[in-house]
Amino acid sequence: MAEDWRIFAYGALAVALLVWGLILYAAVRFRQTERNAEPRSQKDTNTPLEVAWTVAPLLLVIALFVLTAHIETDVEALAAAPPVEIAVDGYRWGWTFAYRDGPTVRGTAANPPEMVLPIGEVASIRVTSSDVVHSFWIPDMLFKRDAVPGQVSAFDLTPSKEGTFLGRCGEFCGLNHALMTFRVRVVAPAAYERWRKYEATQ
Amino acid sequence: MSAAEAVRVTAPERHDILSWITTTDHKRIGVLYMATTLLFMAVAGLLAMAIRTQLARPDGTVLDSHAYNQIFTLHGTAMIFLVIAPFALGLANYVIPLQIGAPDMAFPRLNATSYWMFLFGGLVVFAGAATNEGAASAGWTAYAPLSEITISTGLGQDFWIVGVAMVSVASIMTALNFVTTTFIFRAPGMTMWRIPIFTWEMVATSLLIFMAFPSLTATLLLLFVDRRLGGHVFDPAFGGSPILYQHLFWFFGHPEVYVLILPYFGVVSEVISTFTGRPLFGYTGMVLSAFAIAGLSMGVWAHHMFTTGAVNNPFFSFVSFLIAVPTGIKFFNWICTMWGGSIRYTAAMLYALGFLMNFLLGGVTGVMVASPPLDFHAQDSYFVVAHFHYTIGGGSFFALFAAIYYWWPKVFGWRLDERLGKINFWLTLAGFNLTFLPMFFMGVFGMPRRIYTYANAGALPLLNAIATAGAYLMLVAAVAFVANVVVSARRREPAGDNPWHGYTLEWATSSPPPEHNFHRLPPIRSARPLWDVEHPKKAKAS
Repeated sequence: MAEDWRIFAYGALAVALLVWGLILYAAVRFRQTERNAEPRSQKDTNTPLEVAWTVAPLLLVIALFVLTAHIETDVEALAAAPPVEIAVDGYRWGWTFAYRDGPTVRGTAANPPEMVLPIGEVASIRVTSSDVVHSFWIPDMLFKRDAVPGQVSAFDLTPSKEGTFLGRCGEFCGLNHALMTFRVRVVAPAAYERWRKYEATQ
Repeated sequence: MSAAEAVRVTAPERHDILSWITTTDHKRIGVLYMATTLLFMAVAGLLAMAIRTQLARPDGTVLDSHAYNQIFTLHGTAMIFLVIAPFALGLANYVIPLQIGAPDMAFPRLNATSYWMFLFGGLVVFAGAATNEGAASAGWTAYAPLSEITISTGLGQDFWIVGVAMVSVASIMTALNFVTTTFIFRAPGMTMWRIPIFTWEMVATSLLIFMAFPSLTATLLLLFVDRRLGGHVFDPAFGGSPILYQHLFWFFGHPEVYVLILPYFGVVSEVISTFTGRPLFGYTGMVLSAFAIAGLSMGVWAHHMFTTGAVNNPFFSFVSFLIAVPTGIKFFNWICTMWGGSIRYTAAMLYALGFLMNFLLGGVTGVMVASPPLDFHAQDSYFVVAHFHYTIGGGSFFALFAAIYYWWPKVFGWRLDERLGKINFWLTLAGFNLTFLPMFFMGVFGMPRRIYTYANAGALPLLNAIATAGAYLMLVAAVAFVANVVVSARRREPAGDNPWHGYTLEWATSSPPPEHNFHRLPPIRSARPLWDVEHPKKAKAS
């Protein structure tokens, strides 16, 4: 998805620079001066030009859509038998992470919980909420999914980098919204198994 | 002298307070509307200063969470419902009848009703601050269940619902007036394809209001029923649905953002055309693209819900992308209007140019967030905050000031000072970009919107400090504007009927215009009747 961000950001910048250039060129070139005291033309239509600047952007956005649809299909694909499955419950103001065949981690704004994930393995995350709408967001993984009461929403996460990442609530949920954080610790699969078995006995 | 004119002479205009309260004159209602929105803007702007002061440093202690939540809720609500949209309604109130050569609006008393309902709606929203638990604090979106009585227990939320509903109904009545007036009150010769572009954009805006605002009114009513009458419409514990709230809200909410921008597309089109001395390029395309934008905007609402996992993302993504096409048409037409012109850089023209530069960034970043994989990160982050401030702030707000500098001489009969106007513009431009450009990066670095505090880590402290400095620069710009009004009001430099060499009918009458607008109309044979008068040989025979 970082790739997607790069394509869109550079594309947006390129289009913006082109149009900014045209605007500024026209703004400077056609400013009123002694030599340019009167407008030199009263022409107000040019059909071929108008068709061109309708069709070209249309083709561009169709291309962007195809790209988007491909990436989104990958992002939203769900594995048939994910090795890790975690039920996430957001509440004012904290999170519960319930592992299938594993521990249940609970934490609050004052004492944020930690989600441990094995690197390179698919984790199926199923998000819901106990009160208002929250959003499960891991900025470093460029992804969030809303936690909506009365609805379970599933997505797969396959961490590719070891380390500890900050997670937080992305949807405004009242007084302690700013403090509703959690941590995601990505470790080697063996370390994950040790953690899971140890926590399960606690 | 016609009979109608004779009647006017025997009924001189009154200027006491009672005459303003009881007025049904579209121009006075327009002035009341615009003056009211500028006062609301001052309040909403000061609320923004409080937000930026709190966020200037990490772990800020200026405001606590509850105060902060009320402040950003009121800031958003006021800017959207009480400033940017109704200023356009006030401006259109003033300008539409003049542009189409009409004596007044089609329903003058309905028009007055709209204004007073709008004013009191706005006051009710703010009055919530005087209740025990303070003003509404669930954001301008008031998502259920956060806005339900179980969570938001205070009366402030109810004040908010009632106030916004009043503003919503007032907007629908005003839109009705605009469409009726434009369709049946045009002067002889003012055919559909000669209607000035600002009026066209207001017709498109009015149609959007018809379609979107009833959904807002219904949503607010349902929320009120939930809160006070045990409705459970949005309560999942009783089979209700928070997702339903979001659908209903955004079915209004996305067309609303085009209600916030289409009028200002019209303003910028008029200003650029006048100050380049050329007709608006691609007039037909400009009108059609306004309606294309309006139509498409009815089918994009769920792009605000990509991260819910409950909507058909590809459909809403594609329709959102498509809006870039008619918007692009407008940009190219504005550039071609300037091309071959002789551009006079007045304060109004500078603001229009600022609009083009800023809005473009809002537009291309809008295409980015219309892509769901990007939105999964950007949604509800400062990236989105930056994006919509570049459209509503860098766009509409800049065009709003272009409109003030452009039509001020017509409304008051005297000019604003151009030198102070330019100072006002450059300070606003610098302050605006300093404030909002860093926010794109804050969002990418993971700062959620609507947080009252953030930790002292990474780039966020620096970016936020820059943004706050920019906000204070905008405050200085606002002072420059007020100074301009005060200084110019003392000087009262006469404007004349047509200070800018405008082409549309409002410049054919006196400044300010008489009570029923025109003593005599020029012949209307094109979209630029006054240009035809000045250039009788070149005038089109169409």
